[in-house]
Amino acid sequence: MRWGLLALTLAFLAYPLILTNPFYQDAGALVLLAAISASAWNIVGGYAGQISVGHAMFYGAGAYLPLLLYQHWHLPPLLGVPLAIAVSLGLALVVGFPTFRLQGHYFSMATLAVAELIRIVVSNWELLGAAIGLQGPAVSPNWWDLTFRSAVPYYYIFLAVLALLLAVTWYMEQSRLGYCLRAIRAGERAAKSLGVPVRRYKLYALMLSAAFTSLAGSLYAFKTGFVDPDSGLGILVSVQMIIVAALGGTGTLVGPLLGAVILVPLQTATNTWFGGGGAGLTFIVYGGIIVLIARFEPGGLMELWHRLTAPRTRRSPAPRHAA
Amino acid sequence: MILLQVIVGGLLLGAVYALLSSGLTLIWGMMNFINFAHGEFVMIGMYVAFVIVVALGVGPSIFGLAAAIGLFILGVAIYFALIRAVMRGPILAQILSTFGLALLLRYTAFWIFSPNFVTLPQSSLTGTINLGGILLNVAQLVAGVVAAALTLALHLLLTRTAVGSQLLAVAADRQAAMLMGIRPDRMQALAWGLSAASAGIAGALMAISYPFSPAVGETFALTAFVVVTLGGFGSVPGALLAGLLVGLIQALSAYYFGPVYKDVIVYGLFVALLWLRPQGLLGTA
Amino acid sequence: MKSFARMVVATVAVLLVAAAAQAADTVKVGALYPLTGNSAPAGQAAKAAIELAIDIVNNAHPELKGLPLAETAGLPNLGGAKIEVVQVDHQGDPSVGQQQTLRLITQEKVAALLGVYHSSVALTATAVAERYGVPFVVSDSVAANITQRGFKWTFRVTPIATDFAKAYSDFLTDMKKAGKKIDSVAVLNENTDYGTSVGNSIAEAMKTGGFKVQQIVYSAKSTDVSPQVLQLKEQKPDVAVFVGYTADEILYMKTLKNLDFLPTMIIGDDAGFSDPSFLPAVGDIVQGTLNRSAWAVGAPGSVTEKINEMYKAKTGRDLDDTSGRWMQAFFVLADALNRAGSTDPEKIQKALKETDLKPTQLMMGYRGVKFDDTGQNTLASTYLIQLQGKDYKSVWPEDRATAKLEWPMKGWKQ
Repeated sequence: MRWGLLALTLAFLAYPLILTNPFYQDAGALVLLAAISASAWNIVGGYAGQISVGHAMFYGAGAYLPLLLYQHWHLPPLLGVPLAIAVSLGLALVVGFPTFRLQGHYFSMATLAVAELIRIVVSNWELLGAAIGLQGPAVSPNWWDLTFRSAVPYYYIFLAVLALLLAVTWYMEQSRLGYCLRAIRAGERAAKSLGVPVRRYKLYALMLSAAFTSLAGSLYAFKTGFVDPDSGLGILVSVQMIIVAALGGTGTLVGPLLGAVILVPLQTATNTWFGGGGAGLTFIVYGGIIVLIARFEPGGLMELWHRLTAPRTRRSPAPRHAA
Repeated sequence: MILLQVIVGGLLLGAVYALLSSGLTLIWGMMNFINFAHGEFVMIGMYVAFVIVVALGVGPSIFGLAAAIGLFILGVAIYFALIRAVMRGPILAQILSTFGLALLLRYTAFWIFSPNFVTLPQSSLTGTINLGGILLNVAQLVAGVVAAALTLALHLLLTRTAVGSQLLAVAADRQAAMLMGIRPDRMQALAWGLSAASAGIAGALMAISYPFSPAVGETFALTAFVVVTLGGFGSVPGALLAGLLVGLIQALSAYYFGPVYKDVIVYGLFVALLWLRPQGLLGTA
Repeated sequence: MKSFARMVVATVAVLLVAAAAQAADTVKVGALYPLTGNSAPAGQAAKAAIELAIDIVNNAHPELKGLPLAETAGLPNLGGAKIEVVQVDHQGDPSVGQQQTLRLITQEKVAALLGVYHSSVALTATAVAERYGVPFVVSDSVAANITQRGFKWTFRVTPIATDFAKAYSDFLTDMKKAGKKIDSVAVLNENTDYGTSVGNSIAEAMKTGGFKVQQIVYSAKSTDVSPQVLQLKEQKPDVAVFVGYTADEILYMKTLKNLDFLPTMIIGDDAGFSDPSFLPAVGDIVQGTLNRSAWAVGAPGSVTEKINEMYKAKTGRDLDDTSGRWMQAFFVLADALNRAGSTDPEKIQKALKETDLKPTQLMMGYRGVKFDDTGQNTLASTYLIQLQGKDYKSVWPEDRATAKLEWPMKGWKQ
């Protein structure tokens, strides 16, 4: 397993150096970006089992604030990143506190509604660009504006952030927080009766998740150089995170990464092959895939993997009765 | 005077919201299942109406019926093909399944009908009635009244008929219902059929007055969620009341504060409600 | 992750095969449209228009006299080479637009790009083209800042929001001078990208023109607009300007009739009013409404009429203004490609900069095509058309009018 991990890491590190076509390098960066936001969502959606359908609010905060600082006050967008994280943490507290009382579906609905509310407010707020959106620096001589001509610097920055996120997640998994979150996911009432401070730990998970989602949004803003209510705060942004995580396997460390590696190239490929026809085939395929995952393998590919590899380690039960 | 006009308009639209949400609340209350594809049922109802009118040139009662039957069958089919299996799984799968279904339905309609907006050819329901200074568009009046009537009919079906009590029994306690000899599977399929049918009729009714395209489902779904939450999950009378209320609030806020705020107010209400009174007006906790 | 590597290899293989299957003498151009998502109707109509334009350039059409490159087959200065357009769906998403532009440039190796409708996508897509030094002809995105970033590779053929606003304001000022009562103007715009930028420009221009302005912003995709119409009924503006998409505009017109309020004149800002479903739905109740267009079918036997017939044969509908602008942008690009005589981006850029097309060489009613330093066509213009009977006829400016203006509008009244 160790060698596998090493090989994997090397593969990710070497990818843009092997596939030097700019389009593939760019695609790689996009895969990593999707992996970051899905892994961030995974902390609260997978490990804690709280299905938030409104994570776009954190992503949007992360995308909007750096560009806001740039467009209105000509400050380096990089300054907006910690600001956005702070705002997202605040948002997580404000949203999480009342909604974590709610069970299952109610919580999901609440997060969806709050995100939509924020999106509508932003699309009517002139300062934040209203419906037109905000622009970042198009071509800049300053390195801290992070406008790179090539996708390779983005790729490595995203890879570093992903590595950090996965390390933090792994650490959390092993810690008391992780232990309690698993208990909460298994059964909230039971966890509470065992003395787990449910609400507090759910909030911690949400805040951690929000911070990294915000960071993902900021990275998106740097790479794309533009954000508007739909691309930063739309429902599809939230749903995409969930689908990527679910495809790979929620509640697992590398599930979201696996989901990203498969889904993002698939989305690009279907759009490239079928998109030009204009019949909406891309989305029929996308919708179909989601339904299939939900129907047949909700645990995602990681679960499928475990199922396929488990039998080898199990032996047939020994005979019960003596001969 | 204008205020009264605004109110009446809001209530008529609200009645249609009520009808289209009543199915959703039934499913939600009965199976604790959120159907993110509900808006697409409304959209399909609109297209069924379109196809029937273009092919046969008939009036609203026929294409309304066609929408009801067509969507009923679709709802039952979806239950057996997808929902039944997914219900036993984790919540994530439930949410994903209907999201994916929504995309699938929306883009299949896109593929078949193209994304262009369509309007129904003029039907018999044209003209405006002047009722004491209030101008009532006939199509909207009929839509509103029929929608309210059908919602009430659904409520009566659930509370006054044998089938209805079986549905409610399954909603209340699945296990107990099974012990009483009721087949929960059948009841749930029936509920899905009714849910889709009511959405479909609502769509057909709206199609008379509003232009539509494959993309309209999303807006209706969100409205339905708000109405269902406000009215209380599982309560059809709640959906009626909430639908009327939401229609009214939308109209009044659009008139007084400006149209963009109507969405903000409705969502804000939704969030506040989830926090303060999740069971809604007439739901049970 | 073997699956990923395999997928990559498979994709590469497919693309290699596709590339090898290329005909030798073609010039490749990339076109990006919103073929899915909310603007799909416009994107699909534009795609059909471009396909027609490709046919006109690549094949000999002697009946289209005076239209550059129509009478010959292919591009004469490139040995009759044909233009091949790689069509892409950007889904209305700026990130997809960015990615696909990159693909078109680095994989498909297109000589130039055309697009995109959404201003948000135009911003990101043109930035990629700028970085790689590939000419990008903007066919119809109207946000002003697309040509305000100091880019050297972006060229916009179409008029922009401020042009439209000025046209309306000039028109109303003319009418007022001619003695018509016009004091107050209501501007109703939907609140997405398009509605906001154009609506704001119009409100500004009207204020500068000395009119009393009331701006009502509404949510796109509303299911009911009665409250707004009732507001209008109370305020009684002389002129109402509508900036929105098809469904909203149809809804508004119907609601105006239901609630019995007809302003002296309605002006529709293209978009919804030009959509193929608008006239069939509400044409009979909005007789006399004004619209803007740089496209008019023209007299029977004219080049524009022939183009319209060809488009109708292909899609079953008349050519609309937006799709017409896409076609015109394509012809401008084709003309530049021909003058460049090569697929070298720098030569194409130079040719585009030197573009100087006369009105007689255009299918659209611009006063010409000439780009300034920012890449904007300074001769882009629009005229106002009026719904009289079953079609729109141009009524202003007078030197381009083919019909007489009816004022006030008849609406649903006989």
